[in-house]
Amino acid sequence: MQTSELLNKYLVDTNTWDEMYKNDSVREQYQGVVEFMQELSVEELNRKEEMARKLFMSQGITFTVYSSGEGIEKIFPFDIIPRIITAPEWNYIEKGIKQRLKALNLFLKDVYSDQFILKDEIVPIDMIYSCPHYLREMHGFPVPHDIYVHIAGIDLIRNSDGEFYILEDNLRTPSGVSYMLENREITKRIFPDLIPRNNVRPVTEYPNILHKNLVSLSPRGISNPTIVVLTPGIYNSAYFEHTTLARLMGVELVEGRDLVVDGHRVYMKTTSGLQQVDVIYRRVDDEFLDPLVFNPKSMLGVSGIMSAYRKGNVAIVNAIGNGVADDKAIYSYVPAMIKYYLNEEPILKNVPTYQLNNNEEREYVFSNMNKMVVKKTNESGGYGMLMGHTATDEEIVRYKAEIMKDPRQYIAQPIISLSSAPCYMNGRLQPRRIDLRPYALCGPGGIEIVPGGLTRVALREGSLVVNSSQGGGSKDTWVLAG
Amino acid sequence: MLSRVADSLYWMSRYIERTDGILRMLKINYASSQDDLLDFSWKPVLRIFSYLEEERVQEIAKHSRAVLQFMVTDKENSNSVLNIVTHARENARSVQDHITKELWQCLNDYYHTVRDEQLVKLLHREDPITILDVLIKQGLLYYGTTEITMARGEGYSFINIGKFLERSVQSADILDVKFSDKNYDFDKTDATYWKYLLLSISGYELYLKTYRGGFDAKNVVEQIVLNEDFPRSIVYSINQLHRYFQRLKSEKNIQAHHKVDFMIGKLKSKVRYSTVETILEQGLHSYLEMIKEDLYEIGTAFNQHYFAYS
Repeated sequence: MQTSELLNKYLVDTNTWDEMYKNDSVREQYQGVVEFMQELSVEELNRKEEMARKLFMSQGITFTVYSSGEGIEKIFPFDIIPRIITAPEWNYIEKGIKQRLKALNLFLKDVYSDQFILKDEIVPIDMIYSCPHYLREMHGFPVPHDIYVHIAGIDLIRNSDGEFYILEDNLRTPSGVSYMLENREITKRIFPDLIPRNNVRPVTEYPNILHKNLVSLSPRGISNPTIVVLTPGIYNSAYFEHTTLARLMGVELVEGRDLVVDGHRVYMKTTSGLQQVDVIYRRVDDEFLDPLVFNPKSMLGVSGIMSAYRKGNVAIVNAIGNGVADDKAIYSYVPAMIKYYLNEEPILKNVPTYQLNNNEEREYVFSNMNKMVVKKTNESGGYGMLMGHTATDEEIVRYKAEIMKDPRQYIAQPIISLSSAPCYMNGRLQPRRIDLRPYALCGPGGIEIVPGGLTRVALREGSLVVNSSQGGGSKDTWVLAG
Repeated sequence: MLSRVADSLYWMSRYIERTDGILRMLKINYASSQDDLLDFSWKPVLRIFSYLEEERVQEIAKHSRAVLQFMVTDKENSNSVLNIVTHARENARSVQDHITKELWQCLNDYYHTVRDEQLVKLLHREDPITILDVLIKQGLLYYGTTEITMARGEGYSFINIGKFLERSVQSADILDVKFSDKNYDFDKTDATYWKYLLLSISGYELYLKTYRGGFDAKNVVEQIVLNEDFPRSIVYSINQLHRYFQRLKSEKNIQAHHKVDFMIGKLKSKVRYSTVETILEQGLHSYLEMIKEDLYEIGTAFNQHYFAYS
């Protein structure tokens, strides 16, 4: 294929897997899109970029940053070039995630009941008891259908050899799914006909599957249970997502102050009195859910909700206490869990992880800091992270001192080079690093994953950090039909 | 429906209605300021529609642009169009799952329109009527979108209750701008002002058809307070308020409903059995104050019985 202005200077870093380019030619799955883009002038592409921005703005797909008493509407940056996943790649990912989630669910059930995996010393006991997200309140309480993780967002990256690796399991309240849905809607508007022409699988089923699963969890055997989405409120940066999910499922969006517990049952306050609630998809963290049990200062929760939950009068999604399974230090034991519970070889690989409370591993990490990324085990969103290759000596010394205060709270991983994908920037395509977060839904009928997900992209040149709080953006994610 | 949701829908609607009232009132007053510079003052407008201290009122009362700036785009003025539309939009934002996507987008666009930096500049340099019209049209779009897309359920009733309660207050306020001056001479022919007032609330044609002849303050009062066919009249608004309130009747909160229904019914009769003569006898300003007092009490009772959720 001839290289046009658009592809001019598309320089893939050495030792990086590029999603579009292979040996200076465009991979088959990208050819349709590249040809389409090449027919457009820079002006047209710029106009489409502007149109995408306006669509996000006018639909209120924004988050509000409050500074000096005034709210400023921000858009989560969107790159107009879709990220493309082929059918075989997707089948592999899907199988791998299903396997992993199955094991993680069994692990949660085990760790909150018989604890066989601890007794058999597959996972060290102190790893569990030192994890702040291990909640004794959940011990010995059978959750409906033995499902703890109803909604999971598993983060995947692709190393230089093209192999997919699991970077992180998000099993508490993973966010971003509304961007999977909205990014697709925007692509339909800015590139008419491009999606059907490329045989892209739809993602629209997500809210229907989620709703079906929520209905099936209702403790009361009634045909029309009351399902709600519980949000921390309009000041939460993911508020748009909460409202989108409630709207797409046709269920009520509630805040903690709309609910009240009476006689171990949860009710919502309506204009015609109290109405019992059966299933709560909560987007409030464990810590803030019930001021009587957890953080007493929480204004976002509902007093007494834990007692209603433990009595089995209300289903809470995701289950409480899941944080023990997505702790970054527990992460390194997931392959062992897969073998232990399922007697299978893990399909998707883990990134090698060093436990910093292990003296030998810490020694090794400390002497190779410039090749490491060090993370706090219980932080998310890219906070509290040190990228060894860009940090100054002084930063490293300071960070090491931090680690020594409580080594259990840190893990280290060798810096993995994320794959790159084309982004439209300043009139041409440029490679930027990306990851992938597909959303898996577990119900009594099994695990379902809509073909797609959120592709996050590090918009800064050379950056490996894709988190939205650290200057990341997103792309529409296409899974092609076979 | 959640009490909080009902509350937000009601306030979303009240805020937009208030915005509409303020914009129309600014339009008439600006237009009349161009006609009759010597006599004209923004004082009554500022006293009724803002919380500005008397000192500042005196300072800007003769400066139309400063008043417009203050009433439309001032961030410090809690009753500026900018702030009220922001409130309406924040309320809508928290009930997006109860309004149609079109309605949400419409309010969101309204919000982005009033926040546009350009607006401040244009309000300074260009013809203010054009700018006010742009904003009024955004409001009309909101009304149409509500009418066409919203399901006729409980939420729609709360939206209309908010709208007509606020409209009754706004209509009383718009009339009061002239009559808060107790010495207002009803025999004087303030033709230009009345014409603009009627035009701005879309009542000019109706006035001409009803009264034929020239402008008489009494007729204007009659139309704005007592004409049951005029959609901005006080009596029309109270009738509609009553109509939508009755739809909320249900077995579950019959007592609360009865209390508020009684208050609305009483006010409705009061207005219905007034004539322009009895109004003027009582004094228009005091009559309007009485109506507003009743409306505030209805609002408070409504709040207590339907929205008390926290």
